[in-house]
Amino acid sequence: MKFNIKNIIYATSVALGFLASSCSSDFLDVNNTPNNPLTVPPSALLTTLAYDAAFVNSNDLNRITSILMQYQAGVGNQVATYDSYNLRGNSDNQWNGELYAGLLINSQKMIDNTQTTSPVYAGIAKIYKAYGFSITTDLWGDVPYSETLKGTGNLTPKLDAQKDIYLGTATVQSLFDLVKEGMADLDKKSVLNPAADDVVYKGNLANWKRLGNTMLLRFAMIISRAQPDRAKTEIASVLASPAGLIVDNAQDFQVAFAASAGTQNPIYAFNFVNRPDDQLLSQRFRDTLLLFKDPRITKYFTLPSGTTYVAWNNGATGTLPLSATRSRFGTYLTGASGEAPIRMITNFQRAFMLAEAALSLNTAGDAQKLYEEGIRASMLKTGLATVEIDAYFKANPTVVTLAGSNAMKINQIMTQKWIANCGNGIEAFNDWRRWGFPRLEKALNATGGDDNTIPVRIPYTGNEQLSNPNVPTPGPKTFDRVWWDID
Amino acid sequence: MNKKLLMSFVLLLALVFRVVAQDRTISGKVTASEDGTVLPGVNVSIKGTSRGTTTSAQGTYKISVPEKATLVFSFVGFSSQNVPIGNRTEVNVSLISNVEELSEVVVTALGIEKNKRELNYATQTVKGSDIAQKAEPNVLNALQGKIAGVQIVGASGEAGASTNINIRGINSFTGSNQPLFIVDGIPISNDLDRTNGGPNGTLGGPQSSNRALDIAPENIESIDVLKGPAAAALYGSRAASGAIIITTKAGKGGTVNKKLEVTVNSSYTIQNVYGYPELQNDYGQGLTNIFNPATLNSWGPKFGTTPTTANGLLLPDGSTRKNPDGTDYAYQAYPNNVNGFFKQGSIATNSVNLQGGNATQSYSLLIANTGQKGIIPGSEFNRTNISFGGNTTLLNKIKFGGNINYTLTSQNNFLTGNNASPPAVLSSMPRSYDLQGLPYTDLNGRSIYITSADNPYWSIENNKTVSGVDRITGSLNLEYPITSWVTATYRLGLDQYTDRRKQTFAIGAARLPTGAVLEDVFYRSEINSDLIFRFKKDKLFGDNINFTGLLGYNVNQRKFQNISAYGGGLTLPNYYNINNATTYTSSNGQTGESNSLRRLIGYYGQASFDYKKFVFLELTGRMDQSSTLPKANNTFFYYSGSVGLDITDAFKIKSDILSFGKIRGSYTRVGKDADPYLLNSVYSVTAQGNNVSSISFPINGQAGFSIGTRIGSGDNLTPEFTTAYELGLNLGLFKNRLNLDLAAYKTVSTDQILNVTVAATTGYRTRTTNIGQLSNKGIEAMVAYKIFNNKDFSWTVTANYTVNRNNVDAIGAGVTAFNIPGSSFIGSAPSIVEGRPYGVILGNKRARTPDGTKFIVNPQTGLWVPAIANQEIANPNPDAIIGVTNTFNYKGIGLSFLFDSQQGGQIISFTVASLKGSGALKETAIDREKPRIIDGVFLNADGSYTPNNIQIDAQNYFNQGLQTDLNVYGATVYRLREVSLSYSLPKILLAKTPFGGVSLSFTGRNLFFVAPNSLIDPELSTQGAGNIRGLELQSSPNTRNYGVNLRLTF
Repeated sequence: MKFNIKNIIYATSVALGFLASSCSSDFLDVNNTPNNPLTVPPSALLTTLAYDAAFVNSNDLNRITSILMQYQAGVGNQVATYDSYNLRGNSDNQWNGELYAGLLINSQKMIDNTQTTSPVYAGIAKIYKAYGFSITTDLWGDVPYSETLKGTGNLTPKLDAQKDIYLGTATVQSLFDLVKEGMADLDKKSVLNPAADDVVYKGNLANWKRLGNTMLLRFAMIISRAQPDRAKTEIASVLASPAGLIVDNAQDFQVAFAASAGTQNPIYAFNFVNRPDDQLLSQRFRDTLLLFKDPRITKYFTLPSGTTYVAWNNGATGTLPLSATRSRFGTYLTGASGEAPIRMITNFQRAFMLAEAALSLNTAGDAQKLYEEGIRASMLKTGLATVEIDAYFKANPTVVTLAGSNAMKINQIMTQKWIANCGNGIEAFNDWRRWGFPRLEKALNATGGDDNTIPVRIPYTGNEQLSNPNVPTPGPKTFDRVWWDID
Repeated sequence: MNKKLLMSFVLLLALVFRVVAQDRTISGKVTASEDGTVLPGVNVSIKGTSRGTTTSAQGTYKISVPEKATLVFSFVGFSSQNVPIGNRTEVNVSLISNVEELSEVVVTALGIEKNKRELNYATQTVKGSDIAQKAEPNVLNALQGKIAGVQIVGASGEAGASTNINIRGINSFTGSNQPLFIVDGIPISNDLDRTNGGPNGTLGGPQSSNRALDIAPENIESIDVLKGPAAAALYGSRAASGAIIITTKAGKGGTVNKKLEVTVNSSYTIQNVYGYPELQNDYGQGLTNIFNPATLNSWGPKFGTTPTTANGLLLPDGSTRKNPDGTDYAYQAYPNNVNGFFKQGSIATNSVNLQGGNATQSYSLLIANTGQKGIIPGSEFNRTNISFGGNTTLLNKIKFGGNINYTLTSQNNFLTGNNASPPAVLSSMPRSYDLQGLPYTDLNGRSIYITSADNPYWSIENNKTVSGVDRITGSLNLEYPITSWVTATYRLGLDQYTDRRKQTFAIGAARLPTGAVLEDVFYRSEINSDLIFRFKKDKLFGDNINFTGLLGYNVNQRKFQNISAYGGGLTLPNYYNINNATTYTSSNGQTGESNSLRRLIGYYGQASFDYKKFVFLELTGRMDQSSTLPKANNTFFYYSGSVGLDITDAFKIKSDILSFGKIRGSYTRVGKDADPYLLNSVYSVTAQGNNVSSISFPINGQAGFSIGTRIGSGDNLTPEFTTAYELGLNLGLFKNRLNLDLAAYKTVSTDQILNVTVAATTGYRTRTTNIGQLSNKGIEAMVAYKIFNNKDFSWTVTANYTVNRNNVDAIGAGVTAFNIPGSSFIGSAPSIVEGRPYGVILGNKRARTPDGTKFIVNPQTGLWVPAIANQEIANPNPDAIIGVTNTFNYKGIGLSFLFDSQQGGQIISFTVASLKGSGALKETAIDREKPRIIDGVFLNADGSYTPNNIQIDAQNYFNQGLQTDLNVYGATVYRLREVSLSYSLPKILLAKTPFGGVSLSFTGRNLFFVAPNSLIDPELSTQGAGNIRGLELQSSPNTRNYGVNLRLTF
């Protein structure tokens, strides 16, 4: 047989599909990714928003603030540095992945994808977005807001003043208006409507409106020391709203987790799975609860060593108690295996806020009644029976009764709210910064911060400083107060 | 000199120029004067005519000559001889080897063999014998110190760990900067696939191999390193970082004109830990001079201290501390508890190579096995290669060749890196902890250790990563001389492997208490097809200009797939089947599938001209069409031009001092396409968090997707380009006894295709775009000096010197710095910073006075004030790399030693920081009781400074943290890299044996180093091959190797 080199080459190439297919244009048309979808339905984003929000609330920002608020004492790795008030270089993942490139961009994507076709989804996303931005500005002060989430449309968003974020300007939509706009969207005609994909309210839009109003109340309280008049106006409007507030524990804005790895709530995952030896119950919180004979301690913390809650004084040096004997977060916060919900905005918070407003802003409502309502709602939520709560109220009248000057009463309200918010350090940190209640002594050996006082803000993150020249380097110190923190 | 290559080259040419005989016939035999062996392929020509022939495989020739002719016998590497034949009919000639005329053949792009003196760019050749049997299974490590312009750093001494290689610096911001690997003419994968299923994430995974490790050094005939893009223009963009061209014995297809030769190689190497920091043995477990059984620190009382309740050596009730078994606790040093964990490793290599052939056919078969037991007990690397190749020339002049290699590689290793990995636990182990004497596992099979960290013995017994690679590479060649000046070649190559990995975590691991199983399968395949027409025409324009050229058509397809399944929450212990899991995690791609497919069509050409064999001009051009770019921009053209002038020939310099001189220059532009799938923004399954807490969907049966963190480029993406300039000088002095090869180059890469970091406030983390400019300039020098070259004794010194300066000229609007993608900590992140060399490490820098001389100290505590983030704390780029080899030969005894040195560069060592902070490092025990005062100042409110006068104790002083500039060490190192002693038995002794050759050699590697500015061997890079450099994140230490090798030929 005589070989013909061209035939050989041709035959070989054809066999491999090369010459043949390179002649057709689709040989090179193989650049559509099989690995990821280019679009997703709103239901897949809505579930993400719920868990993004819960994760923001309960992960590292919660660990920082829970240590600063002395629910916990940090004794190992990063959380030990929080107890010496060294907060620098720790929150990049929160700013980047959990907030802006997490909850916030997914909210924005949902708004962009559904505003015209299924505005109910867009409305819920606006409520999530407002919640995310309120946490961001509360912790960092002036933050990029109005120019953010635009991708290549604006690569270096400017900082917006916290005042402008809350109150709005001609070009900056206030967080109040964002929530109101979202609530208005809930009444619009929508092609798709949430159901099981809404892991918070199962598609119950009335509850979303209650949350919207309660979030407006929360914003009003946050700014109430700096802008009491605006706060009063907003509260009056909320109280007059037919949609109502969260008035029952069943209406709480909370997200349930599950018991398997990767679906457990972050409080459980950190304290029981990944970093069990890094933090334990703060001796200071323990002593408060014991002083008040507060039965919630049994729900909040474990009691592995029999009769004594083994706690640690924030910042103390010396020999740590054995790991197995330490009191850690209890089943109210973790569930049996991490399935406990993360509670963001709750009925008890609403009651305490209205009690506080009645005293500080003269808004409608009976402060004493609301105070008691807050304590009861919290105790009920932790799983105490009504009879136990009644017994506690009967046995501890001085605790459950507001007395003395307005400031003393507010101290009582904020202290009870602090106790009730155990597990939600961010809320407690906001309240403490507004009033300085409860009075907290600084941690021992607190030498890691910009001075040796309890930080009142989180420093800007290194990644953002590196990639966005609008963010000042070095930024404000941990002792520089945010706008609404007037004293 | 590479005689085998020369011979085959000459023979190849001989096939083309056949001469028909006439007149009377002369015959004879040509032998080498040196050893009397026959010389095939010698040119035999009739002086004054163009007629000639070549000698046969047996060294014989026949030629028809006219009366009174003179025959000219010439052969590369030998002095030509003119022999007047007179009346003889038989002329036997003995040629004398001629070092002065020696001129090596090198393999350049597309396998084109060229005489080195015709080359216009820098290459360097390493013989197979310089890398095989060097007590080193990774071919890249064996190249260390032997090539100018190349930096090679291994990840660690662990079995099968990867090795990073960069030629002439770094050219791509985030793409691969590894050279292209070409084996027998076909591109093969040198990818590094990481497996990181554990709690340590990508920072604490096992050290996987780079896939060039699948190549058996025993199979390597030679390696040619093409350094600049000029040399590699014909390979296309993937060779922008240079090319490593490996010719295997199988690919070469055996040696023609030889009887069957069988070579048996056997070697055995032992490895011992070398370069671990020195530890103290004066103080034990405790804090603040008080014994504490719960701490990992060694800040306890001095050994021999009288036990009291106050120093913790007695219990609070005054009784003696007891061991769990009731015996008295002995507070003493266990000096070997860390080093004793590492055991002696071994590498056993056996290979058999058969080679044979005749003038028209040749073949080679290699079977090789390497088995390594690593320094961590239980770590293993095993490689078996079977390679077969052959060439044949058919009657119709078609040359047909092919080879196929099957490789089976397995690796078993353990987690490394900062966290709960065995090396990390060792780096903070109390000096009084009896690691070897105490139990490491309880009745339930769980780890027993001081705190939540895992006992290293428990870890290696339970938490393993095994990898099994099946790899087939092969090529097929067809060559046909269409006319006397056009040859067509078709070459088809295939490289395909599957790496099946399994990572297991036992129930009870400190950071993964419920256990996990990860199945991780990687599949890669590359098909490469080249159709090439070669042209060769002497006397193209007039008598003085010769031409060679080629036109080629290339089709390339690369496919990748990774399938992984990660199951946590194991139900049964010690049962590592994914069906034993209760949860399946999709975050970070731990469960799921990732695919990619890319195709490229290239058209290329090359034209080489020489004028009177002293001016050499070469032009290349290539047009690529890539599937990965937007359709409108997917076709791009690039080119190179080079010129060389042989000054000794051009100016007819005949001098014993300047024997050879050549200057050369080149200009190259290389285009590069993108990775697949970068054009669109995509959604992905939602995952949040990291190793301390994370969530991933589905949760409670609900799916969740998020917008991805990368913004797609859209249709504006264009190819990126690298432009390179090179100037070179080759000198042969003193009858070529001293050879110099100097090169100076500059490369500039622009419009890089990059996922550049964006501010998270955009809603994303990166965007794909063309951005930035990166440049390298440098000098390479190679010197070879034959100090003595007698029949019995020779001494040769070869030296390499490399200087490369890299600079990030620009990134992009609004971006002055970003972290290199890959595995690093936020607080010590290798980064790209405008105006700085590539890869400087940004981290936490201790505040200093403006002149940088004093630390700012907290006036209350006497300790450093908080560090400033995002400061440059280390630069991993060396100032210079030097390698010097001395080779002695005396009557069959060979001795060579290689010194090399890296000057400058820096690393961060977590191992040292951990040992330091925990009080285990030797220097922490020196004058431990004495107070320290940090050399610093207090910053007063008015801006003035007051000297620090606060005494602090050693424990506070040495607790400097992992990720700060206090933990950066200079990487300058002087190393005795390799010593080799070999002995070949004289042929006379072998005459009556079946052996054709017997040689025995001893090799030592990494025998000794001095690192004046580092407490640890600075040649460690935990993340291995890739762009993350300068981080030592607590991986295994390096090793010192001793090997013995026996080589028999039949």
